[in-house]
Amino acid sequence: MRPLTEDETKAVFEKLANYIGKNLVHLIDRDEDDAYCFRLHRDRVYYLPLPMLHLATSIARPNLVSLGTCLGKFSKSGKFKLGITALDYLAKYAKYKVWIKQPGELPFLYGNHVVKAHLGRVTEDTPEHQGVVVYNMSDVPLGFGVTARSTLDTRKLDPTGIIVFHQADVGEFLRDEDTMF
Amino acid sequence: MDVSQDLADYAAKHSSNLLARPQPADVDLGYLAAFDTTPTDAELYSSSRDSHLRDLALASVSTLLNSLFALPKTSSPLGPVVRPPAPTTVLPREKPLPKPKPPTKWERFAKEKGISHVKKDKVVWDEEKQDWVKRWGRGGKNKEAEDQWLHEVKGGDNADHDPAATARAERKARIAKNTAQQNANLASASSSKEARKAELNRSMLISKTSTASLGKFDKKIEGEPKARGVKRKFDGVVEHDWKDEKAKALDVLRGVESGEKRKVKGTAREEGAVNVRKAVRGLGRDGPGNDRGVKGKGKKGRR
Repeated sequence: MRPLTEDETKAVFEKLANYIGKNLVHLIDRDEDDAYCFRLHRDRVYYLPLPMLHLATSIARPNLVSLGTCLGKFSKSGKFKLGITALDYLAKYAKYKVWIKQPGELPFLYGNHVVKAHLGRVTEDTPEHQGVVVYNMSDVPLGFGVTARSTLDTRKLDPTGIIVFHQADVGEFLRDEDTMF
Repeated sequence: MDVSQDLADYAAKHSSNLLARPQPADVDLGYLAAFDTTPTDAELYSSSRDSHLRDLALASVSTLLNSLFALPKTSSPLGPVVRPPAPTTVLPREKPLPKPKPPTKWERFAKEKGISHVKKDKVVWDEEKQDWVKRWGRGGKNKEAEDQWLHEVKGGDNADHDPAATARAERKARIAKNTAQQNANLASASSSKEARKAELNRSMLISKTSTASLGKFDKKIEGEPKARGVKRKFDGVVEHDWKDEKAKALDVLRGVESGEKRKVKGTAREEGAVNVRKAVRGLGRDGPGNDRGVKGKGKKGRR
């Protein structure tokens, strides 16, 4: 476990900013008595409160499995990939949202892209290739992805056209349980 | 007539309340400096330090001024002028003595062989001109062979032999050789033995790892330098001050946000606005002057 270097911090923030934009500042600029920090442990980035960090320092590195909230992991080539465990923070501060209808929930939770037929609602003025958080119609966050078309272009699309490219969904908690944390 | 009162007044006016020093201060008028070498009175110094120091300074300054005004004056438009004598105090040198230049290769050789080197004069006597001419440079003696109006051609020379050009080429070659030697001397003087050793080690490591197996199967040489990589350095797991860490993160965030803004400026557009990049691309495909591609797109949108 160690703090992130500047380059790593930049990689993480750029990914997060794709989903939550300027709200990212709320994750960093917190009060002293509610201090959180980013830590890297075995290529994974964790977001955790400071008291937890102090407790975790007494655990040897090989014995430490996970701590705080895992935001994602760094690939071997140094790219940062957001994980589904970061969904809580993404859903809280999401800038652009997509709601999917009930019949579309299961296909998305099995790891498929969101097609136009399943689209319930979408935030106005969502640009192309923008990170969005996917909700069901009762506002439960199901995962996140990247828009394939801007809101304007979706009107021309046929019902089987892909609207949101799947990136992560809560189904991974069952599917990828072993490598989750 | 009683002048005692006047005298007393004069004495009061001109009496010096200077500190009496057993030995007057040494004055160096060249530097306008006075040095009081009498040891300080420890009792007076400790009891009333400031006033005692002021008295001492006053005494020294008055000695300096007295000796300054005792110098012979000359009048000038600006007023009386005195010329102070040369300074007598020897001051230490500001900078260290220059290091002796490292000897050139020739100098080392000459010393070894005991050759005493006489520096050549810059000018040399010309018998024909009956004058001193420069040894080199403009109109120098070294260009005599190529500048003469008539060249002697020896019997064995080729028909197209140009004696002037040959002489000039020889002179240029001499200059080039000398420059090369000079550079070699400079190079050997500037690089220390350690630096050259480090450079050799580095190039050896590079050459050793330049095989397909990165030098894994190469024969090892005795005393071979060991490759040392640069160790990564990270901040401590727990920072001394969380605020520092926060400030650093905010700093990075500022950079990320400014980058995002730039990106958005370049690609995002208003609703319904023409994507200029795409439009131009469409134009390019259909050829310039043919705006069918753009028009067609517009119709499609309206439908």
